[in-house]
Amino acid sequence: MNIIQRLKTQVLPVDPERVTDELFRKKRYKRFRLSLFLAMNLIGLIPMLLIAGLGYFQYRDLLQRNELDQLQWNMEGAQKTLESFVHELQAVVNFVAHDDRYNELLDQKNLQILFDRIKKQYPYFVSLGVIDSHGIQQTYAGPYNLQGEDYSQEKWFADVLTKKVVISDVVMGFSQAPHFAIKVIKKIPGTNEHWVLRATIHPETLSNFIATIHTKASDDIFIVSRDGILQTPSLFYGNLLHSFQLNEQPTTEGQIRQMVDNYDKHILQASVLLKNTSWILVLTKEGYIHGSQWSSFRRKLFYIFAGCSIMGLLITIKLSKILTERIRESDEKRHALTAEAEHTHKLASIGRLAAGVAHEINNPLAIIDQKAGLIQDILEFGSDFDNKDKVLHSLLGIHNGVNRCKVITHRLLGFARRMDFCEEQVQINEVLKEVLPFLEKEAMYNHIKFNLNLQENLPVLFSDHGQLQQIFLNIINNAIDAIGHDGEITITSQVEGDSVVVGIQDNGPGIPEKILQQIFEPFFTTKETGKGTGLGLSITYGLVKKLGGTIRATSTLGQGAFFEVRFPLSL
Amino acid sequence: MTKIKLLIVDDELEFAATLAERMELRGIETQIANTGQEALEKVYFSPPDVVILDLKMPDMNGLEVLQGIKALHPSIEVIMLTGHGSTASGIESKEKGAFDYIMKPVDLTELLEKLKLAYEKRSKVEK
Repeated sequence: MNIIQRLKTQVLPVDPERVTDELFRKKRYKRFRLSLFLAMNLIGLIPMLLIAGLGYFQYRDLLQRNELDQLQWNMEGAQKTLESFVHELQAVVNFVAHDDRYNELLDQKNLQILFDRIKKQYPYFVSLGVIDSHGIQQTYAGPYNLQGEDYSQEKWFADVLTKKVVISDVVMGFSQAPHFAIKVIKKIPGTNEHWVLRATIHPETLSNFIATIHTKASDDIFIVSRDGILQTPSLFYGNLLHSFQLNEQPTTEGQIRQMVDNYDKHILQASVLLKNTSWILVLTKEGYIHGSQWSSFRRKLFYIFAGCSIMGLLITIKLSKILTERIRESDEKRHALTAEAEHTHKLASIGRLAAGVAHEINNPLAIIDQKAGLIQDILEFGSDFDNKDKVLHSLLGIHNGVNRCKVITHRLLGFARRMDFCEEQVQINEVLKEVLPFLEKEAMYNHIKFNLNLQENLPVLFSDHGQLQQIFLNIINNAIDAIGHDGEITITSQVEGDSVVVGIQDNGPGIPEKILQQIFEPFFTTKETGKGTGLGLSITYGLVKKLGGTIRATSTLGQGAFFEVRFPLSL
Repeated sequence: MTKIKLLIVDDELEFAATLAERMELRGIETQIANTGQEALEKVYFSPPDVVILDLKMPDMNGLEVLQGIKALHPSIEVIMLTGHGSTASGIESKEKGAFDYIMKPVDLTELLEKLKLAYEKRSKVEK
């Protein structure tokens, strides 16, 4: 409760009646405007941020899952295709190396015929060789002369004894040309001895084949040996026989890893071990971060967010300004109304007080008057004595003094009753003459001259004396304010038809046409804030209407304004 | 001018007495009453020609006294003394039967004028 109270006093503009310090009040409105602006922005921005964030992460997730799935399928497809390709190669070599062909193939001519036949079908075969159980190549068909080479110390020679079929990595062989070899071990019939058929194959076979299975789902696809030597050229990681280290040795199930490569790129790397070989198929795919889909999404999101924010910002700035202005205006109107009511109330109180005082003074005044009169009477009826003239002169002085007091008390009593409406016989000229003394002083200070041009013997009006006084007081007061310094106010009264017309002409700056239409509206003022309530002329208008009259204002810019009040003689 | 019989009704003793003395000096037979009650008694026992009646008195409103006088002797003329700065109460009392009204503090010449007119009117009615 306490906090709420404190917040309220901090944020809401304080009741203007209680705050007299203009600067402080302005600061209050400024703070209110700021709070309003911040609150509206918060209300608008938070959901927008939430939605944007949700969209951002959701879309990223989707892209990620999508690329993972795609790469997975691609990997599996490529794995199957490659495995069946390798299987086919093995099958060819296996078929050629039939057990009992050992002796037949020991003949160089026979081997050459077989090699030619195979090469016709499979042009990528580079050479064919028959190796005896001691590792010595007995016959050889191919581009080099490698007959008699000793392979007994090679690692694969030991392997092939246990594995039946061995596919080697791509190497620079004795021939100094890259190749890989498929070796098949067979028994020599009737003995315990073995022989090996070794076929070397050009590595382009692999790269060509991989090129055919390369799809858009991956950026790079290549084969690497377990020892980290590229078996096919890679687009990004080097050519054939370059070194390429995998962080983890995959299984035949395959694995996909997210990582940052040597070029500082976020990539997905899929690797899978090919069955029956020591080869690992590797596929890489650039992360979604580098993709155009992601960047265009981010760009769009940013533009939409920025656009909405700026628009929201502008709207809230404008809105908070308008709202604060409205509140300030209504505060001011209320303030003016209260002040006007207070003023009226004050006037009424003063009036009552004045009436009371005047009435009380009236009685002793009457006694003084009568006593002086009596003395005068006695002197006049009696005989002469010394200094009689002086006494009579003094009595005249008393009489004049009393008369002056009488004028004052009567005027006070007259003004006191301006609040209640009552009809009586009124001489407009008298009313005008009563009003002027109240304004003469101010007019005099500002060098403003009154010109009276009143028609004699105006017919008597049946109207409210006090309210008529207020009407003319307001109009003439306005004229004085409009002139400011040095000017003339001409007041005329005359009968026109069956109306009494009073005209008040000033030679001030005049009223522009636009403002002229509004001057009788309540709260309309051209005076600076705090000086005018904007009620004077509207009250005047209301009073004139109440008394059955009409009021009209005309003006020529630069030549002053003319107010005409018209009252009908017979209602 | 035949002798006018006048009654001055005002709660201000000094005022009434002084005014009465000045009237006497001018040959007008004047009585004084300080309350509404006293005024009505004097009108009843020795009716005057004209009454000068204050509108505001502590015991009775001037208008009530006026109505009382008119009830006793409709032909007696009454001149109201008003302390208010307005003519409204004067007009109201005229509507209720007063001959005229005059504002306080009174100008003696004006009062004598109105007194004369009132007496003349009453004389006409008497005849």
